[in-house]
Amino acid sequence: MITVNNLTKSYGKITALNNVNFKFDNSHVIAIMGENGAGKTTLLKICTGILPFDHGEIIIDGYSIIKDSIKAREQIGYLPEMPDMYDRLTGREFLFYIGSLRKLNDAESKINEITKLIGIYDFLDYEIGSYSKGMKQKISMTSAIMHNPTNLLLDEPVYGLDPLTSKTIRDFIRNKKGTTVIATHSTQLVEQIADLVYILMRGRVIHFEDVSKLVSKYGSMEEAYFNIKD
Amino acid sequence: MFETIKVILKENTRNIFKKIKETPVLYFLFTCMILFSVVVFVYAAYFMTVIDIGFDIRIEDVFFTVFFVFMSKTIADFHNHFVKSQPVSYSLATQVNQKRTISEIFLAIFLIQIFIWLSFSTLFLLIAASFRINIAYPLEYMFFTLGVISAVFVGGAISINFFSTKRYRLIPTLILLGFAFQSRTILFVVLTLPLAILHASWSIKNGMNSYLFSKRKERTKESSQVKIRNILKTQFYREIIVLWREKLLLSFIITSVVTGFFSGYFYVYGDEILIPEIIRKSVSGFLPAMFVFLGIYVVIIYTAVFPGLNLFLNEEKTMWIIRHLPVENDAIIYGKTSALTLCFLTSIPFIPYISIFMGLDRIVFLFWLLIFSYIAGVIVSVPLGVKYVGKKSDIMLLYSVAMLLFVIIGTMASIGTFIEENYNYAFLVFFIIILIEILILFISLKISSKILSLNNS
Repeated sequence: MITVNNLTKSYGKITALNNVNFKFDNSHVIAIMGENGAGKTTLLKICTGILPFDHGEIIIDGYSIIKDSIKAREQIGYLPEMPDMYDRLTGREFLFYIGSLRKLNDAESKINEITKLIGIYDFLDYEIGSYSKGMKQKISMTSAIMHNPTNLLLDEPVYGLDPLTSKTIRDFIRNKKGTTVIATHSTQLVEQIADLVYILMRGRVIHFEDVSKLVSKYGSMEEAYFNIKD
Repeated sequence: MFETIKVILKENTRNIFKKIKETPVLYFLFTCMILFSVVVFVYAAYFMTVIDIGFDIRIEDVFFTVFFVFMSKTIADFHNHFVKSQPVSYSLATQVNQKRTISEIFLAIFLIQIFIWLSFSTLFLLIAASFRINIAYPLEYMFFTLGVISAVFVGGAISINFFSTKRYRLIPTLILLGFAFQSRTILFVVLTLPLAILHASWSIKNGMNSYLFSKRKERTKESSQVKIRNILKTQFYREIIVLWREKLLLSFIITSVVTGFFSGYFYVYGDEILIPEIIRKSVSGFLPAMFVFLGIYVVIIYTAVFPGLNLFLNEEKTMWIIRHLPVENDAIIYGKTSALTLCFLTSIPFIPYISIFMGLDRIVFLFWLLIFSYIAGVIVSVPLGVKYVGKKSDIMLLYSVAMLLFVIIGTMASIGTFIEENYNYAFLVFFIIILIEILILFISLKISSKILSLNNS
């Protein structure tokens, strides 16, 4: 469970998030939508402890991301929008690096299982610097889920992936226990896997509702998004 | 018209202004250092050329140094602005001829180098004039300028052809360079400028072979080494893998060997080779010690400060990895810094090579000064690296740290010599100094850890 209370974040004079509140319950897939620059990526980065913030509080499964940051980060898996990794390491070395820092004893079997599932296993011994964007996305996705976190924070999780891997990831998210928060522009993805959607505009939450209700009200998530935004 | 040139120049200018705005103190310090360096050059030129007190440094030596600096800078700039630049794909995908786009990138780099040359040489002449030093050598100035132009063309051709599958295309430029360095004559470089232009133009014409050049490196053999380790070992191995694959460890060892050898050589023969007879008596006393100090200083800057700063400076886009993982800041700092112990080992070859000339009489002092200087390098560079995460190419930061260490190591070398000459138990005093320094190192790493958490809260 992720709780965000009165969160404010500014970049100089620009307010990226303005006093926002969220409660992401367990056993839900929550989508964050909004235009470019609405604050989606910033919100995810703050929740993972990557970005500092001005005011507010983030609680991950009862642990503050500031006061108990280690405990809080243990419960999180994170996939950034543009996953930059260490170019001179191979995919395997990178994943073992993450596994070591997360103190995973069964890392090898987990890595083999996930990478075979999402189709990157055969490329694990190549340097990351030679990977395509989609291959990096797969390695990054593996690093986010290999410790089976209760809270997954995914920024555009299927962007750049081939159709088969995209479906595998969607199925994985759909069946995963715990909380999954996805930031995305894809109304189709939201309709396919999300239970609840929050719509952000200029750092504020302008609407949140069950996806199923929105779809039944407007016919599709795309229509719902345009209507709410206007 | 010339849109690519405009964009590159605009981006460079804005980057500089942004950096000045972000770290004004650092840039003020750097400006002062540039002025100071130019004043030193003016005086060195004055003594060498005007008064002619017999220094055996020829104008060709200065010429080839300038040539080499501009050639290296062009290779690096062309690699950054073209070979590995993703944004260039936007220009290359337009209807504008790709050769024209590459030429524009080259021209932008050419203009930047010429601007730097003209700025520094003008500053040099202005300072010389303000001290009423008459340096009126218009022909030499023209030759130097043509040399810089040649260096840019040679650098461009090297950059394009080295980062491509057709490396044999480097041969014409390498032959030209070989003859230039062999002849050591300025006129050769100036007269062969048309050849350099010709080869660079031909290389630019075939430049698309180099764009986003990367070799897909498979490392199946190393996969058996990959395993789960504790946090400290994990950080250590990651740093070492990168240093090894970038061939930096090897270059550290080579630097230590070469610097040790030449420091030793100059320790014995330096005053005869470099110092004119009329002033030899007055400076020969401190000169050998100065070469030892300079040798250690160079080794430390390369094997301690450079990797020490880059432990974090290089992490701009990858900081998300460390920050989202459940790892204490202390563990990150200690783990990464522990990789520097291996870098320290690469500095040790300095000792046997300098000892070939110095003998073993001062080996304890040498070891002590090397260890002291290495730890001092780590104490200064790690917290600054953490403070300025992401400013990978900030040469000014490296320069400022180098200057600071110059003072620290220089002072301590003098104190060490004093202790060695005046105390019977110098070894014990050296040992105590190292212990105190290790304590300071511990405090420095704690401060680094604190800075890392402040960056994060």
